[in-house]
Amino acid sequence: MSSPVSAPDALAPDFLKLVGVSKTFGNHRVLDKIDLAVSEGEVLVIIGPSGSGKSTLLRCINFIAAPDEGEVIFQGHSWKAMSSKYNFLANRKYEQKLTVLRSEIGMVFQNFNVFPHMTAAQNVMLGLTKVRKQSKDNARKAAVEALSQVGLAEKVDQYPEKLSGGQKQRVAIARALALQPKVMLFDEATSSLDPELVNGILEEIRRLAKAGMTMVVVTHEMNFAFQVAHRIVFMDQGRIVEIGTPDQIRKTTEPRTRSFLSAILN
Amino acid sequence: MNSAQPFFDFTSVWSSMPILLKGFAIAMACATVAIIIAILLGLIVALMRLSRVKILRWIAFIYTQFFRGIPLYVLIIWVYFGLAIAAGVNLPAIPAGIITLALLNSGYLSETFRSGILAVNKGQIEAGMALGLSRRNVMLHIVLPQAFRVIIPPLGNQYVDAIKDTAILSIIGVPELMRESKALANLYYRPFEFYTFAGLLYLFAVLVVSRGVSVLEKKLSAHSAQTTVIIDVLN
Repeated sequence: MSSPVSAPDALAPDFLKLVGVSKTFGNHRVLDKIDLAVSEGEVLVIIGPSGSGKSTLLRCINFIAAPDEGEVIFQGHSWKAMSSKYNFLANRKYEQKLTVLRSEIGMVFQNFNVFPHMTAAQNVMLGLTKVRKQSKDNARKAAVEALSQVGLAEKVDQYPEKLSGGQKQRVAIARALALQPKVMLFDEATSSLDPELVNGILEEIRRLAKAGMTMVVVTHEMNFAFQVAHRIVFMDQGRIVEIGTPDQIRKTTEPRTRSFLSAILN
Repeated sequence: MNSAQPFFDFTSVWSSMPILLKGFAIAMACATVAIIIAILLGLIVALMRLSRVKILRWIAFIYTQFFRGIPLYVLIIWVYFGLAIAAGVNLPAIPAGIITLALLNSGYLSETFRSGILAVNKGQIEAGMALGLSRRNVMLHIVLPQAFRVIIPPLGNQYVDAIKDTAILSIIGVPELMRESKALANLYYRPFEFYTFAGLLYLFAVLVVSRGVSVLEKKLSAHSAQTTVIIDVLN
């Protein structure tokens, strides 16, 4: 099966790039000098066994987990790992700057992480009013619009408690998209969903891919990965083992990739 | 036996009602003002406890341990007499009483706030950060509103404690319910009746507060917090 979307221009300048990104939790080196480049409009899917560092890699892109070493280059701007853990004021200032990076990158989580004390609309409005500094009225309009696009026009004023898992994840997607990010990160967005709800969310991601959104997607849905990805990254033990088009990955001779794929595709 | 006083005689209690109710009002006012100050102080200390700056954490830790460890009786003597002797600050009895209760309760409340804040799912904070919200906005709009729900029951308990603790303010002369009851009991030789009545008033206040807390709790949990799911960051 070939990719439904035309592949981005291979010569396009790097839009998003990780250079030598490392991250350690305690004694465990979760990411080991990762180099990775994503072009504008590209859909990059990361696969790999549990504990391979996929989620952490995603979190390092927007510094939700700050890298210990290396840098993230986004639209020509370099975001380096914090130099010292002990210079409180410098870190605080840097963290304030990081909000700029984060506001350009949307993220959708495995556990939805919708805000339970806010209605669907309020969930979407928070970023619009506090980050984009929009007025309440404009934010409300944009929120209703964003929620309608993910099929939640009827649920605008519902609290998450009254929503299904799939609907919560749609709120989370609308919340991220409302800020009109340049990149979307999906961290196992369907792993907590009941099986019958998975396809709906995958459909939303597919829709975004067709619209040309740059995306980095961590998923266990292999069929989906092979259909939607321009390139697939296989990770193991904190390293990138292999990067290739879906066809290349499917036909790979790399033993670890093969054993992972054969285990998961059966 | 015919000349003996009746066992229970509440006549003098009824006739002293205005004084007793005024004492009760003062007790309630002291407890309420003190708990409001304690909430603000406790929140600040809790945020210091959770700060990334070591010195702030230490100051907050010592503060908490100190005010949780010191008996109310000693603290009130320090604030009322100690400040006057050591610093020449002559606080009137009521403000001294309120400050004492506020300090003591803030020590307990800072721990309550801290656990409430820590109970908020980490994913909530990450979601806020991912939107590009500042740390302050994440705290203000995402963490604290959810933490507040968790801490309403212990907050109510603290208020109840503060109401009962006002009885000890009598030792520095605050004209609250206990002090007035004691004076009247001595005047009429009716200690049992007066103290019993005072006890009933405290009990009444506590029941009203508890009821209020449970109503507030129900109201706020109408859209309850998401079940806490521990995210495996290594996935």
